Amino acid sequence: MAIKLKADERSDLKRSNTKKIRQAGNIPAVVYGNNKKVKTISVNSIDLLKTVRDEGKNAIISLEVGGESVDVMLHEYQTEPLRDELVHADFYVVNMSQEMDVQVTIHLDGESPGVNDGGVLQQPLHELSVRAKPGDIPEEIKVDISKLDVGDSITVSDLKSGSKYEILEDEETTIVTILAPDRGTTEDEEGEEEEQAEEVQKENEEEQKAE
Amino acid sequence: MLMPKRVKHRKQHRGKMNGKAKGGTTIAFGEYGLQAVEASWITSRQIEAARIAMTRYMKRGGKVWIKIFPDKPYTAKPLEVRMGSGKGAPEGWVAVVKPGKIMFEIAGVSEEVAREALRLASHKLPVKTKFVKREEIGGEINEG
Repeated sequence: MAIKLKADERSDLKRSNTKKIRQAGNIPAVVYGNNKKVKTISVNSIDLLKTVRDEGKNAIISLEVGGESVDVMLHEYQTEPLRDELVHADFYVVNMSQEMDVQVTIHLDGESPGVNDGGVLQQPLHELSVRAKPGDIPEEIKVDISKLDVGDSITVSDLKSGSKYEILEDEETTIVTILAPDRGTTEDEEGEEEEQAEEVQKENEEEQKAE
Repeated sequence: MLMPKRVKHRKQHRGKMNGKAKGGTTIAFGEYGLQAVEASWITSRQIEAARIAMTRYMKRGGKVWIKIFPDKPYTAKPLEVRMGSGKGAPEGWVAVVKPGKIMFEIAGVSEEVAREALRLASHKLPVKTKFVKREEIGGEINEG
């Protein structure tokens, strides 16, 4: 069942009005897709954040705009990098019978014995591209790492596509790998530091000679 | 230390550092990052010092990404030289960092270790920084 979110229609698109909307704790947003007319709206920033936090990024939201209700998904959003606040959001009108491509978060499940042995867990892929009907999109895809030892890795081909969704990512893409502990790091560091110190000494000597 | 292999021109204008960072404002590779809150030049020595501070604290664990590169040469005149007579000699290399830039990223260590490593690194840098985590929208809010 879709979660309800209230939105107000926004007709004045001037920057001064957009600023006022943000100052009031709302964010400007836009609704489009599924051959519907584009609508400019504003939604409460905290309500949207709560909805996404509770139901996931790909949740279907029932957006109430001016007495009319449309089923949408959060398609894109912009944040202010320093304050980490939402600045703008795009909502995509979904057709429940049509498949769509979305990004689904990967969640690592379990504790790896390789990490306990001193290995370094590296996760190059954090999101998977998935094709599914809007109602069948998983909130997250769990990857079990409880059998991963040092040197082992899990690729997309190791995942089982759910019966309701299809994974679009290249099969050879690595999701998670356990690297062997780097035993030479500290020695390298010391060597580099010595080199640095030598360089500084040389420079100081040159400066003294120049004087 | 980091520096370009080859450059087209030996000396550059100093330039301005207005505004915020255009790119590199999100965590791309690791789990935790160090974000600049102010604008400044970061020298190659400062980057190296920060890297050493981080890797030393993390010992053998984890992986560090340096997301800034000192590609701008800066010049200086020798001591006790009168003004004039042209621009000084190239002295070193800097990266221009603007507010919002994620300068370092870390993965493969616990949050406490990452926080402390990045705190140590931040003391080697001439800018105020904040610790950031890779979070989805609506996830745990970053702390300063």
